[in-house]
Amino acid sequence: MPVFLLKYVRIVDAVNHRLGRVIMYGIFVIAAILLWSSISKTFFLPSLWTLEMAQFAMVAYYILGGPYSIQLGSNVRMDLFYGSWTDRRKAWFDAFTVFFLIFYLGVLLYGGISSTTYAFEYGERSYSSWRPYMWPIKTLMCIGIFLMLLQSLSELVKDVAKLRGLEV
Amino acid sequence: MPYETIAIVMFALMMLMLMTGQRVFGAIGFVAVIAALLLWGRGGSDLGFAAAMKLMKWYPLLTLPMFIFMGYVLSESKIADDLYRMFHVWMGPVKGGLAIGTIGLMVLVSAMNGLSVAGMAIGATIALPELLRRGYDKRMVTGVIQAGSALGILVPPSVVLVLYALIARQPVGQLWLAGVFPGLMMAGLFMVYITIRCQLQPELGPALPKHERNVPLGEKIRLLRAGLLPIFIFASMMIPFVNGWTSLVESSAIGALAAFAAAILKGRMTRRVFDTSVRQTLAITCMFMWIILAALGFGAVFDGLGAVRAIEALFSEQLGLNPWTTLILMQVSFLLMGTFLDDTAMLVIVAPLYVPLVGALGFDLIWYGVLYTITTQIAYMTPPFGYNLFLMRAMAPPEIRLKDIYSSIIPFVGVMIVALGLVMVFPEIALWFPGYVYGK
Repeated sequence: MPVFLLKYVRIVDAVNHRLGRVIMYGIFVIAAILLWSSISKTFFLPSLWTLEMAQFAMVAYYILGGPYSIQLGSNVRMDLFYGSWTDRRKAWFDAFTVFFLIFYLGVLLYGGISSTTYAFEYGERSYSSWRPYMWPIKTLMCIGIFLMLLQSLSELVKDVAKLRGLEV
Repeated sequence: MPYETIAIVMFALMMLMLMTGQRVFGAIGFVAVIAALLLWGRGGSDLGFAAAMKLMKWYPLLTLPMFIFMGYVLSESKIADDLYRMFHVWMGPVKGGLAIGTIGLMVLVSAMNGLSVAGMAIGATIALPELLRRGYDKRMVTGVIQAGSALGILVPPSVVLVLYALIARQPVGQLWLAGVFPGLMMAGLFMVYITIRCQLQPELGPALPKHERNVPLGEKIRLLRAGLLPIFIFASMMIPFVNGWTSLVESSAIGALAAFAAAILKGRMTRRVFDTSVRQTLAITCMFMWIILAALGFGAVFDGLGAVRAIEALFSEQLGLNPWTTLILMQVSFLLMGTFLDDTAMLVIVAPLYVPLVGALGFDLIWYGVLYTITTQIAYMTPPFGYNLFLMRAMAPPEIRLKDIYSSIIPFVGVMIVALGLVMVFPEIALWFPGYVYGK
């Protein structure tokens, strides 16, 4: 295996791992926003920003956390056949079928970038009384999808390495 | 190519891709974007990302991480141990009593979280070893735990009903209330089955031996206090919600924090428990959200093709079936698909197809939500694909073989089909309670 590929795997895995370990505490951020929303609704004036802020937090949570979830192997697969295969055969199949995943993420990123560019050019805002700008969340989503793409490529390299008898 | 053919090709391609064992969201997403690109060219390239923006606006989905977190806190911190002790002491002396108690435990766990995972974990780690040690039949035990944990998605709060509500555009509150009595009825039917079976074959579920039964009454009463915990957590969620002080999503956050606080107060929130709960919440939430994201794209293409209308026309106009026959055929096909389709895939792909059809046939969508959930529960348990089956296999001790797990569910699936039939024939079982609460 070329050295730069192994280096790529190490860097991407490390970055996504650290990011995921931080993002996972986002559950408390979401819960705090929702808690503040119920408190402010019951005792003071309802806050305008909580609903959308919670939605943004949720999107950031699952999109930026996505690569770490791939590392944890938590994305379900149909294991009617897959479950009974040897590790080697699994690696063989994954090395091919991961391109479907990469293609999907690529199209997702393409759409994301065009939507983000639009948001920047026209200063797009959400249709609500709070009217937040849309570019920050869209940018975060693009970054997350891009990291997802990098992680899928890293999985591909790891599968090929495994087929060549290397453990990365 | 006519649109119906495209729809069928897409469906077949997706099934084929799923069989390769690639991550489900990748397989579904790929079929969605490639179909969109082929059908609409460059205009179709936005479809995937547009689904992400649409998903963001689905506010009730925020309950998902909250309930997942709650479930992990409850099962990892083992605060349900006391609950199990309570049922053990009170129900143990009866034949099959520990199995009946386990169903009771599952009802309480179901009232504290919205997925079947927590019930499964609690059942497999706490109840399973105890029941095996007391000489209960291993098939009886695994069946009870799988059937009991399936209650998690019918008894409120229920994540499946939240997702159903999004698809059917029905109020989540009414759906949850509609699930209460069918859920309790199903638990009751399980208990009746266990009682009868254990009376006929006492070796399946022996009563506790004499020396273990002699628990002083004071101790027994003290153990009842364990039952306060689920009532406290359930109340902290449901009272503000039913009174309209908080929204559903806010209540779920309160429930999650209440469970978290309870674990801390009981001294069970160790570093390891905390880390596992937080990490697994992210992992499972990502799993769900990415599948829903991909399936939304798939659904958008399906909608664009008008596939739902074509299928409805096929049933009602070309085959000339009346609504009830169609509904029964749909449930049967749903059950069949449930045996081989992954349940998350089913939820996000089959539901958008079936739910509008049921509405078009003139049925009550709240009532159908309950039928839908019971069918999903059965799908959770039937091989070869079943969430509960996989979890059971992962969590059960090695002496329980896959064959045992598969055969253990047969009688319980029978009971669930009876429950499904009862709710179909008597819709009031589901509908009187939401009607009573909202009709005031």
